[in-house]
Amino acid sequence: MRPKLLGLIAVVGAFSLLWGLPVLQAAQLSSPPLIKAGELTAATNATIPPYQFVDSAGKLQGMRIELGEEIAKRLGLKMTWINVGFETHIPGLQGARWDASITGMFFTPERAKILYMIPYEYQAVSISVAKGNPLKISSPSQLAGRRAAVEIGGYEYRQITRINEEQVKAGAKPMEIRTFSTFADAYQALRAGQVDAVVSVDVTAKFYQDRGEFERAVSGLAGSPATLAFRSKEVASAVLTVLNDMRRDGTYDRLLDKWGAAKMAADKPLELKGPDLP
Amino acid sequence: MPGWDWNAFGRYLFNWYLLEGAWTTIWLSVVVMILGLLLGLLAAIMNMSKSPILQGIARFYLWIMRGTPLLVQLIIIYTGLPQIGIRLNVVHSALLGLSLNEGAYLSEIIRAGILSVPRGQFDAARALGMDYPTLMRVVVLPQAARVIIPPLGNNFNGLLKTTSITSVISMEELLRRGQMLIQVEFRVLEIFVVAALYYLVMITLWGVVQRRLEAHFGRSVAPAADRARVAEEPVKALERKEMEHDLR
Repeated sequence: MRPKLLGLIAVVGAFSLLWGLPVLQAAQLSSPPLIKAGELTAATNATIPPYQFVDSAGKLQGMRIELGEEIAKRLGLKMTWINVGFETHIPGLQGARWDASITGMFFTPERAKILYMIPYEYQAVSISVAKGNPLKISSPSQLAGRRAAVEIGGYEYRQITRINEEQVKAGAKPMEIRTFSTFADAYQALRAGQVDAVVSVDVTAKFYQDRGEFERAVSGLAGSPATLAFRSKEVASAVLTVLNDMRRDGTYDRLLDKWGAAKMAADKPLELKGPDLP
Repeated sequence: MPGWDWNAFGRYLFNWYLLEGAWTTIWLSVVVMILGLLLGLLAAIMNMSKSPILQGIARFYLWIMRGTPLLVQLIIIYTGLPQIGIRLNVVHSALLGLSLNEGAYLSEIIRAGILSVPRGQFDAARALGMDYPTLMRVVVLPQAARVIIPPLGNNFNGLLKTTSITSVISMEELLRRGQMLIQVEFRVLEIFVVAALYYLVMITLWGVVQRRLEAHFGRSVAPAADRARVAEEPVKALERKEMEHDLR
């Protein structure tokens, strides 16, 4: 064969191989383990701006929405979002209603016993109060005897309950901890003066403070990684590969910086945690 | 971990966390039922009054409370009213919302019961010189009660389960407690089966109470065969007297 033609075939061949690589990855992910072929079905609790929320036009927005869309794109899958309250996410994963929970689920050892989780972001617990901080809350101890709203089933609930128990043991008045279905309901209760504080996450509390609605009185409590959670190890591994790629090519940094989220330490690659993993 | 876990089920069967939630459901239902009955009776009587103003108020109350969803009513009371300066705490909000709603439905049941009492009873009571409150208390309501109890029992049955809607304004009743326990222990089926069993127990106990109530309020109406026998006796006695008279 003529050398020029051979060269041309080699170049076209190499190019199409590179082009086909993401498709190859996607071809590895079919149903099962995906619930629906060609789709990444993810549950999200779109009530905590700026992470995930619904804008006035009813469209899903936020850092995690963009993160999920980018991951699905790189996997060659269509992103299907299911906007549900957080308390259904883990049962939904167990019951194969969705492939993933992209909602900033905090990492806990109990959850890692039943789900595959990729810690990818740092979060900490904050306390939001009414504008002007009328009760002068500057630490959790000042919540003693006060009413605090929190979302049901979350890490924030466990942390504030733990803090409350410690304070009560030390002789303080107990807090009244009110659980709501979503953070949006909890913030509504704060707005209505039905509670004195909302216990949520740093970036969300700051978002509301910047909007001038509530003040972030306390932040940085009980910091822990937030994760993407999956029911299937295969799906989780595919997403892990994609995420580490995003870290290498700068997409991860750009995305998290844009929304003000706290990144994981740059020197270590992201890892998968799960039931059969150390 | 898929599959049913009998050990977990046994643990949850007498779980104090869920039992506390069940207690909240019970006391909420009982208090709401009592308040609802009072409201419903008042509304029913106003509805049947000759005064157009009283009738108007009662009908407006029924229209609003039966025409809007309970969920909306609760959220308005708890989260909406503070906007205009009326702030009720969680328990008061739940009781107010549920009682107003229940009272509206009960008022129609009570009105049906009162309507079922024959006109003659009212007239006879009036002829005996009773005033309205007395005739209602002594003559009409005890008879109306017989007709009111079955649908009322039905409502209480529903109320025991409807109280779960208060979780939306952060009341920790049985269903909400079940949801919270699942977040910690992840055994969805076992926990919800236990919650369902608790509801069943509550409903069954109420069923026993309702049957007793029906027997008590229905005691003036004996079964058909007895009624026939009792009805015949005065006639037979009269016939005997006439025969004796004729034979004399």
